[in-house]
Amino acid sequence: MTNKSDLLAEFQLAIIEGDAERAKGAAQKCLDNGITPIEAVEVGMRDGLRIVGEKFEKLELYLPDMILAAEAGNEAMKVLEPAIAASDQRATPPGIVIIGAAKGDIHTIGKNILTMMLKLTGFIVQDLGEDVSATTFLEQARKLNADIIAISSLMTSTMPSQREVINLLNDIHERDKFKVIVGGAPVTQQWADQIGADGYAETAAGGVTLALKLVA
Amino acid sequence: MIDFFEVIKRALTGPYYSEQDFTLKVLVPKLRAIIKKYGIIYDSATPVPSNDQLADDVFRAGVELCAEVGCYCKDTSRVIRFTTDEILEALRDAPSQPFFGEGSDRKAMFARKPESSDPPYCYVGAGGSVVTSEDVFVRLVEGYGRNPLSDSITCPTLTKINGMEIVASSPLELLACIRAVELGRAALRRAQRPGLPIMNSIATGVTATGKIGGSAFGLRNSDCWVVGFTSPLKVQFGRMNEVAYIIARGAQLVGEAGEPMGGFAGGPEGIAVISIVYHILSILVLRSSVHLTFPMDIRYGCNTSWEIMWPISVAAQAMSRNSHHPILNLAYTAAGPMTEMCLYEIAVAMINFVASGGNIEFGGVAKGTSPDRMSPLEPRFATEVAHAAAGLSRAQANEIITTLIPKYKDRLASPPKGATFQECFDWVSIQPCQEYIELYGQIKDELVGYGLKFK
Repeated sequence: MTNKSDLLAEFQLAIIEGDAERAKGAAQKCLDNGITPIEAVEVGMRDGLRIVGEKFEKLELYLPDMILAAEAGNEAMKVLEPAIAASDQRATPPGIVIIGAAKGDIHTIGKNILTMMLKLTGFIVQDLGEDVSATTFLEQARKLNADIIAISSLMTSTMPSQREVINLLNDIHERDKFKVIVGGAPVTQQWADQIGADGYAETAAGGVTLALKLVA
Repeated sequence: MIDFFEVIKRALTGPYYSEQDFTLKVLVPKLRAIIKKYGIIYDSATPVPSNDQLADDVFRAGVELCAEVGCYCKDTSRVIRFTTDEILEALRDAPSQPFFGEGSDRKAMFARKPESSDPPYCYVGAGGSVVTSEDVFVRLVEGYGRNPLSDSITCPTLTKINGMEIVASSPLELLACIRAVELGRAALRRAQRPGLPIMNSIATGVTATGKIGGSAFGLRNSDCWVVGFTSPLKVQFGRMNEVAYIIARGAQLVGEAGEPMGGFAGGPEGIAVISIVYHILSILVLRSSVHLTFPMDIRYGCNTSWEIMWPISVAAQAMSRNSHHPILNLAYTAAGPMTEMCLYEIAVAMINFVASGGNIEFGGVAKGTSPDRMSPLEPRFATEVAHAAAGLSRAQANEIITTLIPKYKDRLASPPKGATFQECFDWVSIQPCQEYIELYGQIKDELVGYGLKFK
């Protein structure tokens, strides 16, 4: 009989290598051998995705590898989700994040990396792309009942657009419904404090830690 | 070379891809396959390799990748493709020695070669970094103009106009663009260098409207505009609109790209190859007279780490050995002004650029993101090191760089912020404070010990 830890290790490896077909097969094997779907998600998949994030931080893996790992995770979830639904257990995502580049800003790499890392951590993430208006952030956050609105700016001239989102939430008395976090190369903790954001992180990894803290 | 109308036509009618498919299903696999095909392998022990075969292989890999991938137009979701023949023709027909500036400050920028003793063209200033006030803008630019080794100027970015925070795409952006041009010109007149070209057009501008509108208030055809790609290998109509305007007024532009290492292009090998593709697309799509490159280390937000030296060097060697189209290399330091680390980072970047065949832009101090954290002394130091490095062999450059980087590499993740312009310079005379003069002298003396000969 195949060892339980070997099966989980194989699942984890398939995720790390971004092999969607292998990840699906490994997830099925876990279930076939009595591993609970929750354990498969927590140990096989999330730990695999966490390792991918750590390797990215050390430049041992790159952005496309993170994307492939996340896609492998999505494919594996197609096998695991029905089993989770059939059991009494539930794998609860840490939270829902609406993310985008501030109005006027077309730079997306940093935002994309944070998006991937949040997904790897288990967050449900809606990426609104670039040049996103305050009203679009609001509408999408309402629609998905988001926990967090994350806004990036690579240019100083688009930083005021981050404040516009917070001003809008204040003006319509919905500020307490969502946590707002800001980031991007010119953004600082001082700016975040000045505009009344709930948090700021300098790096994508810091952004994940911040998001986890805010939804805890 | 095919004309700009043909480029526009291809942007409108080229093959359709979703943005994600272009990146993940076309670019990434083809880039990885070409790196393998040409046997391009990063050598971590030699940040500045002296390997002509490697440089030429990277060039050929870049040409092949460019023909296979092309440039993605974000507005139409179409790919602007070029054949190998069109690419080679563009490289043959590309400008070779564009002139910039007026009067005694009119000067040509040449394509240098690796190890050349020709002094590099020095494009210096703020690298678009941000300032808190119009006063700081003027005094900084005057300080940049006073450097006798400055061949052209890169102005800072205004964050306020008349005390009002500038909001992108609002009328304040356009007004600030006009103001930035007026202030830049006035500052260079104060520096007694009225003919010195402003080469980054209007850093304050985000939109084509801002840049084009602002240009009408004092930019000359002998200046230069900077127009950039979006990562990876993408262009927007906003930028192509700027190109159309610049061509129509008979002016010139610098095409720019700063691919992050760790992003879609991957590690050092990918950055080296994609840098060649950007350079070719800069000639074809942006119609550039010069190409400016600044790959960034995604971990630190700068390009002075050990690992980023190799792709910068290899790409500069590859292009300069195989093309007459000039290259500018731009540096971003992690540390701020009046720190030993910042000066070491500048020295490392300049020595690498110059020995590898590039001209220099400097630059972004303290990652180019901290308001007022820059002064005229960092670009002055950069130009002096760059001139002193002309004629160094790549092996000599490698030896100096591998000695200097260990002095700061452990601090890249948490670099010292250093001083603001107001803190390290006398505001009235625009001269560095004594502490900074001493530090600058001390590092220059140290570099003399490594074989640099300052003039």
